[in-house]
Amino acid sequence: MNAVATSLSRPVVTPEAARRRQRAQRRRAVLKVLEVGVLLFVAALIVFPIAWMVMTAFKTPITVYSYTIWFQPTLDNFREVFNPRWGIAQKVVNSTIIACSTVVIAIPIAVSAAYAFSRLQFPLKRVTFQWILLTQFIPAVTIVLPFYVMFRKLGLLDTYAALIIVDLAIVLPYAIWTIKGFIDAIPLEAEEAAIIDGASRLRVIWDIVVPMARPGILTAAIFCFILTWNEFLFGYLLSRQKAVPLPVGIIGFLLERGPVWELIAATGIIITIPMFFFALIIQRHFTKGMNLGAVR
Amino acid sequence: MASIQFNAVTKRWGDFFGVRELDLAVADQEFLVLLGPSGCGKTTTMRMVAGLEEPSSGEIFIGDDLVNDMPPRERDIAMVFQNYGLYPHMSVRDNIGYPLKVRGIPREDAQKRIDAAAAKVELGPFLERKPAQLSGGQRQRVALARSLVRTPRVFLMDEPLSNLDAKLRVTMRAELKHLHHELRITTIYVTHDQMEAMTLATRVGVMNKGVMQQLAPPEEVYNDPANMFVAGFIGSPSMNLVHGDLVDGTFRAEGVAVPGIGGGSRTGVVLGIRPEDLRVVGPGQGVFDAPVYSSELTGESTLVTFNVGGRHVCARGDRHFRCEIGEVVGVAVDPQRAYLFDAATENRIRL
Repeated sequence: MNAVATSLSRPVVTPEAARRRQRAQRRRAVLKVLEVGVLLFVAALIVFPIAWMVMTAFKTPITVYSYTIWFQPTLDNFREVFNPRWGIAQKVVNSTIIACSTVVIAIPIAVSAAYAFSRLQFPLKRVTFQWILLTQFIPAVTIVLPFYVMFRKLGLLDTYAALIIVDLAIVLPYAIWTIKGFIDAIPLEAEEAAIIDGASRLRVIWDIVVPMARPGILTAAIFCFILTWNEFLFGYLLSRQKAVPLPVGIIGFLLERGPVWELIAATGIIITIPMFFFALIIQRHFTKGMNLGAVR
Repeated sequence: MASIQFNAVTKRWGDFFGVRELDLAVADQEFLVLLGPSGCGKTTTMRMVAGLEEPSSGEIFIGDDLVNDMPPRERDIAMVFQNYGLYPHMSVRDNIGYPLKVRGIPREDAQKRIDAAAAKVELGPFLERKPAQLSGGQRQRVALARSLVRTPRVFLMDEPLSNLDAKLRVTMRAELKHLHHELRITTIYVTHDQMEAMTLATRVGVMNKGVMQQLAPPEEVYNDPANMFVAGFIGSPSMNLVHGDLVDGTFRAEGVAVPGIGGGSRTGVVLGIRPEDLRVVGPGQGVFDAPVYSSELTGESTLVTFNVGGRHVCARGDRHFRCEIGEVVGVAVDPQRAYLFDAATENRIRL
């Protein structure tokens, strides 16, 4: 009783308590070291291949097969990649056209569909939405052949149109799903207020829903671009010469004498650059979107 | 400006009736408050005027127009929402100006009207801010300014003050009353707060379970309730309702006998008396004696609750009145201020 009263008025550190506290501190320090260690290990696993690609892109053909990280960096590979005999410039153009067209077509469709799934009532709404998501679970390899046959019959093999159509099928479910989530979070009141203020349904979507769902729409657009930009399988099978996308173009560096690693790496960097900038934009807009939110 | 007319309007979702066979006439320039507990149909009634809800049957007129199939934007109305319904991505100026922009009012004219509306609700210095940078009261003002920037035929307000703190609510209430006096626009105002209803309304419509219980000026709803629901809903603390019988003009229940009620004999009645119509007196000096169950000082008065035959009866006493719990006091009743209801139908028995 007495002891309690003292410890309440003035903390007295007994030797036992001090030892206990020291042990706890030591345990925390050890855990911290372990935590950092694990994180560094995982980070190294992820970063190593990327670092290796970046280094390779700046190596000369002679140093490519050496493990040294001390070499004279050169920009020759980037120059060589754009040598007309590899046709990479054309493939950059192809990929840009395909990816941009896909996004420009996909986003308005996705916004409309997402709005409908979020706000309107229509027969078979639930089932339709589930089926749209289910298409995402079909392994692409299993449907490549029907697509090939279909496009051959339509005379669309090796055209932008064929790749854009396939890419739309790949990205739309994801885009609809993402944007719907953002539209769901918009309070109905804002839309009703706009309707009372005199706006038509389309005007409400354009003036109220789209700006408020902007972070979601932007995110969906960027992810669609990335998915399309990196798409390899369909690009490989549905194109020959005219419409070959950039990732497929890398195959051109697999020569009879072996793969030209330094050019593959340089092309890899060219493919990665837009992703890098998009990642920055997404990050900025996500934090902004969270601050904006709904006004209550 | 316009009158509003409901002819036998029903709104149902499957088996659930939101509003049942409603006949209602709102006069031009009137301030009608729809009052009732949540789910009573008051908001549905208003949303049907707005066009956000379609009636299942019946007719609604605004002015001379049958509006049943008219989209909201053609009805020439404005609405203030409970959560304000602001556009968070637009500045205050653009929020207020949105109804004008949609209607294609020329920019210069629009700016003038935005400034005028903002001045009316004292928002002048905040026009360039975003709604997120405003306080709750300021956001409510933005919603108000947006609704009056266009001088609509009808104002609709859906619990506009319920998200504000108590003090601000009183201030805004006075402002609303003043605005209505100034603009004279027909208004339907939905609330569950009887204080707002009493202070703002030209007439109060008390609703319950989709049915209009009483439609009358505030003092009449308070002094002459049509049935037990209205009697119990209006007033705070609510009216004391005691079940008993009428024997030769005297109301009898366990532990109570109140003479002078009149109306002969009748079984199954409910006697209603407001706390402010009961007086606490010395033991033996009132109509009956009862032990004090609790005594609460509210500041402006003292609420005394008695134990009468196992029921609690509340009286509003003078703010200087003090008593002990368990103390037996007398209760005086003015029979003229007592109401009698039928226990089965809950309707008023008029004597």
